[in-house]
Amino acid sequence: MFAIVEEPIDVGSLIVAAQRPDCGAISTFIGTTRIDESDGARVEHLEYEAYRPMADRKLEEIGAEITERWDVREISIVHRLGRVNPGEPSVAIVVAAPRRGPAFEASRYAIERIKQIVPIWKREVWSDGYMWVGSQTGTRSTPAAK
Amino acid sequence: MNGIKILLFGAAADRAGTRETVLPVEEEVALGDLWPVLAGRYPKLAEMQHNLAFAVNGEYARMEDRVSSGDEVAVLPPVSGG
Repeated sequence: MFAIVEEPIDVGSLIVAAQRPDCGAISTFIGTTRIDESDGARVEHLEYEAYRPMADRKLEEIGAEITERWDVREISIVHRLGRVNPGEPSVAIVVAAPRRGPAFEASRYAIERIKQIVPIWKREVWSDGYMWVGSQTGTRSTPAAK
Repeated sequence: MNGIKILLFGAAADRAGTRETVLPVEEEVALGDLWPVLAGRYPKLAEMQHNLAFAVNGEYARMEDRVSSGDEVAVLPPVSGG
């Protein structure tokens, strides 16, 4: 299952849905919102936006790349958009495979590919402005933001 | 639709001050031919030229790819999902 959602991700139900009698391993990667601090300011939350439906298709492509490389039987990738509060999941990857090696490797591969090819962007909303991650563009005026 | 629809995202939308615009074109052109027009219209966007990728109709495209009226071009800053 590949999805881009605007509501909180139900990680538990994704894991339960991946349970299969032909698989001995379920590997998960959950990306969560981390609060950074610098120059007396802190991140208050993150905000995500996507170019859809291209982003949806790229998630499916990653799934296809994984099934070409490894023997995995179930892949779910769910990415959240909009405001994500501290500590909440922004992305969940669940891979079920007969053996643990491919499950671990495929879940790692999925998150690395998301960060390479899926047109999704996040900005950190700080107490003193915001910054687009990866673009050094925003409204913060502190040295770290330039 | 008359012209090429341009969508801008993330930092590119910020720098351009808009998320969407239309560039009029008379005939088929290379994607790269659109860039000077966009850069002229949005000087702050031009500053991040070397960090931008482009998509045509929802797929990554190269500057020599052809575009024509009715196509959708997306201006994509470095992605930062996850």
